[in-house]
Amino acid sequence: MPINIHHPNMGHEHLERYRDIIPDFSTFLDFMSRPLPVTVRINTLKTSVQELLTRLDRAGIGYERMRWYPLGLRLDMERPGRLMEFQMGLIHIQEEISMLPPLVLDPQPGERVLDLCAAPGGKAAQISMQMSNRGMVVANDSSSARIVPLRANLERLGSVNAVVTSYDGRRFPQYTFDRALVDASCSSEGTARRYPGVIARCSVKRSMDLQSLQVSLLRRAIELTRPGGVIVYSTCTFAPEENEGVVSRVLDIADLESFTIPGLQSSPGLVSWNGVDYGEELLKCRRYYPHQNDTGGFFVAKLRRRFSAGE
Amino acid sequence: MSRSSAEGFQLVNKDTVVSMWVERFGIPEDVFEGFSFFRRGRMIWAFSLPEIPPFRCESIGMRVISMRESPWKPTTYALQLWGRHARKNVIDLDDEMARRFFAGESLELRAQVDRGYVVVTHMGSVMGCGLYTPGRLISQLPRERRILEIDDRSASRYAQPEDAHHECSE
Repeated sequence: MPINIHHPNMGHEHLERYRDIIPDFSTFLDFMSRPLPVTVRINTLKTSVQELLTRLDRAGIGYERMRWYPLGLRLDMERPGRLMEFQMGLIHIQEEISMLPPLVLDPQPGERVLDLCAAPGGKAAQISMQMSNRGMVVANDSSSARIVPLRANLERLGSVNAVVTSYDGRRFPQYTFDRALVDASCSSEGTARRYPGVIARCSVKRSMDLQSLQVSLLRRAIELTRPGGVIVYSTCTFAPEENEGVVSRVLDIADLESFTIPGLQSSPGLVSWNGVDYGEELLKCRRYYPHQNDTGGFFVAKLRRRFSAGE
Repeated sequence: MSRSSAEGFQLVNKDTVVSMWVERFGIPEDVFEGFSFFRRGRMIWAFSLPEIPPFRCESIGMRVISMRESPWKPTTYALQLWGRHARKNVIDLDDEMARRFFAGESLELRAQVDRGYVVVTHMGSVMGCGLYTPGRLISQLPRERRILEIDDRSASRYAQPEDAHHECSE
């Protein structure tokens, strides 16, 4: 399977639309054509940081700990899926920046938590771990084909508090969750360092088509969350249509909150784009560009459901 | 106790299930505090709540025991989670034996354990379930968890774990 093939110019025409919003644009383009570091998350449901690091040391595998996340490691090796530690569920192979949304969500043991677009399950398993296997995380994914790897990952990682469902997220049945994560389907521009072909499939039209789906998913997640509960919306795309353009359309029922992750560089959300005014509130969203932290690209918004409309 | 939305999951007596872990492996009872056990088909599942939530569930929690065998067989996933609390019927393997265990091989060895299912560890970390008969340890690892040196596809069949769902979504 060809991964990380170097395509220096692939899709740069499409990325040109971001020249004015992405800081240090030429460095950004340079990073977009570099392969991603190999990163794993330590699964404390099954091991401790010390136990895992001792095993890596003994196996002679080099690693670097992430500055912003004590359970994140960059490994000095290819194919960590062949490690015993992977099969034992002590680690999960997870892109560095995709470890972020569960941290912003901050689920607590005993809560009821929804991961509306969960496959292949890295974030749902991380949520399960944050909750110490207590309470419940519902890992939903609309695609029946993705349920198999979702279940396999949750089981390997020892998630006893996970429930797997396969609803169309827009019509997830009524329930009251304490928190919800919407890591929405998106144009995935931020994954180009791993899948160089994705940019070629991106267009404004595609982003606009995705926007209506994303707004529906996010609105449903907010409706399913108790008043005062936290909802995190994330994507792995730079397209404002799929990010601020989505979040700005749910602010009648939820409020944005600022957040900071020490050790992780980011840029604020956009207040307008191509003549569309999103509002000053959108500055509270965070954009993570590949050259800021040597990761994939990501967008994260933290919302809190209002107690009543207009409050 | 069961309901139509629970897709055939039936609550089972917790003591029956916990006593297996306590008696066979000496795992303290409090390790299972807060967990409930449900049966569906010939499998027992562990879950963190005493009732099945009102959804159409593809799965709940984790498969922990197979009732297809007699005595009941603990799953590798359950042992990976709870096996580190075991005080008996544990076999620790050296690097080379561990590698062969992960390849699904039967190992010639003698250990101070009872005949039957054992927790197999490497440097104290649990690899999974083994079946011990005097002089022999047979790997019970599920096929998708084995690491075969020659077949590169083995580890990756279910194990493409990166967060790639955006790639082919919608």
